[in-house]
Amino acid sequence: MQQFGHSPIPPKAGIGLRFPHHQAVADTRPDVAWLEAHTENYMGGGTSLRCLETIRRDYPLSLHGVGLSLGSAEALDAAHLERVRHTVDRLEPALVSEHLSWSVVGGIYLADLLPLPMTEEALDVVCRHVEQVQAALRRRILVENPSTYLRFAHSTMPEWEFLAEVAERTGCGILCDVNNIHVSACNHGWNASAYLAALPPAAIGEIHLGGHARRKLDGGRVLHIDDHGSRVAPAVWTLYAEGLAHFGPTPTLVEWDTDVPPLEVLLEEAARAAALLEEVERESGRASAA
Amino acid sequence: MSPAAPALLELQRAVCRGIVARDDGDAAACIIADGIDPAARLGIHRNTFASVLTNSLRLSYPAVHRLVAAECFEGAARVYIEEQPPRCANLDDYGADFPEFLARFPPVAAVAYVPGVARLEWAVNRALHAQDADPLDITSLAALAEEEQARVRLAPHPSAGLVCADHPADSIWRAVLAQDDAALAAIDPAAGPVWLLVNRAETGVEVRRLSEDAWSLTAALFAGRALHRALVDAPCAEARAVLAEHLAAGRFSGFSLADPLTS
Repeated sequence: MQQFGHSPIPPKAGIGLRFPHHQAVADTRPDVAWLEAHTENYMGGGTSLRCLETIRRDYPLSLHGVGLSLGSAEALDAAHLERVRHTVDRLEPALVSEHLSWSVVGGIYLADLLPLPMTEEALDVVCRHVEQVQAALRRRILVENPSTYLRFAHSTMPEWEFLAEVAERTGCGILCDVNNIHVSACNHGWNASAYLAALPPAAIGEIHLGGHARRKLDGGRVLHIDDHGSRVAPAVWTLYAEGLAHFGPTPTLVEWDTDVPPLEVLLEEAARAAALLEEVERESGRASAA
Repeated sequence: MSPAAPALLELQRAVCRGIVARDDGDAAACIIADGIDPAARLGIHRNTFASVLTNSLRLSYPAVHRLVAAECFEGAARVYIEEQPPRCANLDDYGADFPEFLARFPPVAAVAYVPGVARLEWAVNRALHAQDADPLDITSLAALAEEEQARVRLAPHPSAGLVCADHPADSIWRAVLAQDDAALAAIDPAAGPVWLLVNRAETGVEVRRLSEDAWSLTAALFAGRALHRALVDAPCAEARAVLAEHLAAGRFSGFSLADPLTS
């Protein structure tokens, strides 16, 4: 097994590594502070894993999972947790993250990050599963806030409270997806700034940025859809700057999964995040010098 | 289920019915409308489910996708996904039964060679994503006592697989992926069966034709038949040469010793 060591993720801008960019990243070693890969894409062997192992020698790495289904009422899929553990052991990422959502019931994988009711029962389930994953991986994980298109009538607490409580009870960190906050706030009439302000800064381990789409439904209502298929929207950049002011400099990732553009486009987006991060670094430096 | 306070498991089962079986009622009753029909809100997740899995099948079966045309492929995928939703969050493993499904899916079943091409594509997909494993070091076999050597069972490399098709599935597969219409037109689908070996080599996935006898011997070895017995029973004179080539190409990654009574 290769020994990479846990190069920590710096509070700088990274990009999501996707298959179409493997060769370009391996060949050109672009100037980006870190990379994040999807855990489920590297569970087998062969050329893609070898390529990531090669690239990984030069960049701090984060692994971002979509399949653990932390919010499943039933037990976690032990075989999938074992696959995650194996992948994490092999690639030794500096960060491991998953989602505040569910995707498995009755043994069926629904291939989506489905919303949870914000109830005490769901909170207990998520906390139990986060603790189980952290014990299996022998490390702290980050849990990402979802983008949602529906709410359940029997929810008893706001999502930001639920997420903060998961972090408080389990010691996990929060992956704050600013685009998801914007999307959910638009869809449900929430105040995105209040959501950000309610998150505990000490728990924030990473920020995600990505693009979203607007879909007009029958009847004229518009839903914002988190499709990671375009540049980060102006409103999300504004919210990101607010987040940085609240959390301080935080590792920030630009994601793009639909109609993946040339690598340069991702690097441009990452450079924009990097400029905002540097500004916050300078300000926090001035504040601590004062 | 009480829509006022459903248990989490009941709610998740209801959402699953809404997504997989289009049976929205129970889940929709728990969702706040807020100006949008709850069924339309659930529909977003149903669309994601269908599009993610259709795309996953398209990635695993690119030649079938081109052979049957996009619309037909999507129609087949829609029915297959509903009948056999994934049981695992690693989607590289999803779609193993798609070739058998295509063989009995009327719009596709009329084109007799499609299921064979699909089985080849699944073997290629498996080979692409299989775990890494070091090839068997044959000196470890030589070090065995003679009595033990008679009981050796070889373990195939995780990427190795065998496909037998009634039509020249490999030629069709190559021509379709290369978008070489002239090559495709030159293939006689009735040219007879092919016996194929698929495995991952340093340079990528390899698909090669074997003779029927070499294929049968390889199938026996991959199935865990004791090596000694498989070689004695092999119908072909070149059995040892076939084995030597497999070993040299790293198509076995280990061995075990069979019980003396069952070998």
